[in-house]
Amino acid sequence: MGLTIKINKKMNGFRLDAEWEIGNELAVLFGYSGAGKSLTLQMITGLMKPDDGTIRLNEKTLFDSACNIDLLPRERSFGYVFQDLALFPHMSVWENIVYGAHGLSKTERKHQAEDMIDRFKLVGSVNKYPSEISGGQKQRVALARALIRRPDALLLDEPFSALDNPLRIEMQQLLKEIRREFPIPIVFVTHDVLEAHELADRIIVYANGSVIQSGTPIEVFTKPATSEVDILVNTRSRLRQAVETLPCTTVLP
Amino acid sequence: MINKTGLLVFISLFTAFIAAGTAIAEPTGEITVSAAISLKNAFEEIGRLYETQNTSGKVVFNFGASGDLMAQIKGGAPVDVFASAARKDMDELDAEGFVVKDTRMNFVANSVVLIVPSSSTVALTSFEDLQKAEVKKIAVGNPKTVPVGRYSDEIFQYYRISDMIKNKLVFAENVRQVLDYVVRNEVDAGVVYSTDAMVKQQEVKVVLTAPEASHKPIIYPIAVVRGTKYETAAKAFISLVTSDEGRKILSKYGFRPIVQAK
Amino acid sequence: MADDTLLFSLKLSLQVAAIATVFVMVVGLSAAYLLSRKNFPGKELLDILLTLPLVLPPTVTGYYLIVLFGRNGLFGRHLYAWTGWSIMFTWYAAVLASFVVALPLMVKTARAAIESVDENLIRASYTLGHSEYWTALKVILPLAKKGIIAGTILSFARAMGEFGATLMIAGNIPGRTNTMPLAIYSAAGSGDRSQATVMVIVFTLISGLFLYIANKLSRRIL
Repeated sequence: MGLTIKINKKMNGFRLDAEWEIGNELAVLFGYSGAGKSLTLQMITGLMKPDDGTIRLNEKTLFDSACNIDLLPRERSFGYVFQDLALFPHMSVWENIVYGAHGLSKTERKHQAEDMIDRFKLVGSVNKYPSEISGGQKQRVALARALIRRPDALLLDEPFSALDNPLRIEMQQLLKEIRREFPIPIVFVTHDVLEAHELADRIIVYANGSVIQSGTPIEVFTKPATSEVDILVNTRSRLRQAVETLPCTTVLP
Repeated sequence: MINKTGLLVFISLFTAFIAAGTAIAEPTGEITVSAAISLKNAFEEIGRLYETQNTSGKVVFNFGASGDLMAQIKGGAPVDVFASAARKDMDELDAEGFVVKDTRMNFVANSVVLIVPSSSTVALTSFEDLQKAEVKKIAVGNPKTVPVGRYSDEIFQYYRISDMIKNKLVFAENVRQVLDYVVRNEVDAGVVYSTDAMVKQQEVKVVLTAPEASHKPIIYPIAVVRGTKYETAAKAFISLVTSDEGRKILSKYGFRPIVQAK
Repeated sequence: MADDTLLFSLKLSLQVAAIATVFVMVVGLSAAYLLSRKNFPGKELLDILLTLPLVLPPTVTGYYLIVLFGRNGLFGRHLYAWTGWSIMFTWYAAVLASFVVALPLMVKTARAAIESVDENLIRASYTLGHSEYWTALKVILPLAKKGIIAGTILSFARAMGEFGATLMIAGNIPGRTNTMPLAIYSAAGSGDRSQATVMVIVFTLISGLFLYIANKLSRRIL
């Protein structure tokens, strides 16, 4: 059960070599920009093709270079939230959300859409266009659209990086709620250590195209595997900050 | 960046070029002859003869449908000599004062033939046969501007087939285009001058020659155009056309030279 | 007499241009999509072939059309052998000529419009479970609307004004293939100034009206 990947790709002088496995948890891919985190996500959804390896989701093989299996993005049951959200500017909020409900009957689509709109508190904005709604609302539309068909996993590529703090915190809370209501693997990419700490059940640390540590936040923060991880995580001062600013934090030795 | 000297040099060269161009455009006695396109081959040969005989003279030809050429002259085109395939076009110019007095003369007669592509398998032996279903398209000159188109009209009226075949007609802009359509097998039959058919003997078959009675006499007039700057040269050209040498060349191409003033 | 020609050629011009534009939209959009989103052997060549009628004089284009579709042409001869019918000197040939010369305009403008669509939106559509076809229809086309409409207007205008290639393959047959540009040419050429003037004025007014309507419509759609 869960999401398992073992992929590598070489492009433009950069080499990605990633292997990890997660269950129904919120895993954060953490590291500097350009470390290969977004690239990994794109390969998981099928927007880009690894040179070789395997990708499996809940016992279903999505990609296997040895057996020549490479499912199209639409054949893989993922919810995906882009960094710039990619809301369709020519469609209303309702139409954007319903666009994700491909394959359902008309009544089912309406039912699911209404459910999502309710859940994500978008009632009243249904007929508005993306250019007419707030940043927070846009985030929620993107999430509703990605989740309407109850995908088997949810992938988010630094969706909150452009938001200012209050909204960011609000969205992080929302994501935690989603985590509770949708028991699926969630992969979240960020380069922000506080965000990683706040959201993750598991942190997967990336540097220069490879995974250098994978573990719970406590493990990663208190026992960095290499000096690199240590620098990234900047344990001592950063963690103290985290303890001081976030409400519910585990006590550290 | 364009520097001042460079720009100056360019402008001087450009001006010199234009001046030279205009200078070249007016040598002594270069005459422009607008002639019906059926005269193309014959006149080109006469033109070469003219140039060898008058070393300072040059001829520039403008071939086309007589009606188009006539319209050009009316519109002020700088033409020195005009030769048309019908008296009608010359009459019109004359009436409006475009013809120099006493230079007009009829110089050849011609006949009209019905032709088919040499590869044609349709059995045609008469103009009436054009009504047959196998004949789908017939090329003729545009009666508005092409004399042979008018002659074709007269022939069709004479044989009383105009109504029957009018939907099969394809109008061409001049007689050589009619010929071309037949040569290319785009049409099943065409009506051209016998002189044109001679030019493409391999590619077309002459079915028959239209009897004289079926159309107005085909007389070609030639004249000097009023406003010419080279009246002497123009008259010299017409003299050559009507001379023995000229008539010999015209006969070679199938025309029937005549000597008849007005 | 004069009224017959005017009305007929006006009606024919509008008919030919409208039909040609429909074909231009279908073929042009497909080609623009292929060229902007796909890679295949011969892509560069296809691009050049489709652009050629834009840079070649209409008479050259007309010549090629004769070579291909004339009764003895590459394709024309087979058509004639099977059906006994040739496109030469029919109004269909006028449609063909207009289609060929207007196509590059649509391809170029539509391609630019399609290429300007945010790639992320297209990727989003795929991740949301949709096929390439559906994405093209629901995401790419609507967002490329502006360029496509501009291309359509340009194509229709070009089709209305087509003369050179039309004259060569459709001929100038009164009552059958004489579109307005050809009719004006005939009238002017045979010295029929008054008829030519009337037709020129009518054509100018119709063109002006078309532009006015086109502008209004595009503002409404966009």
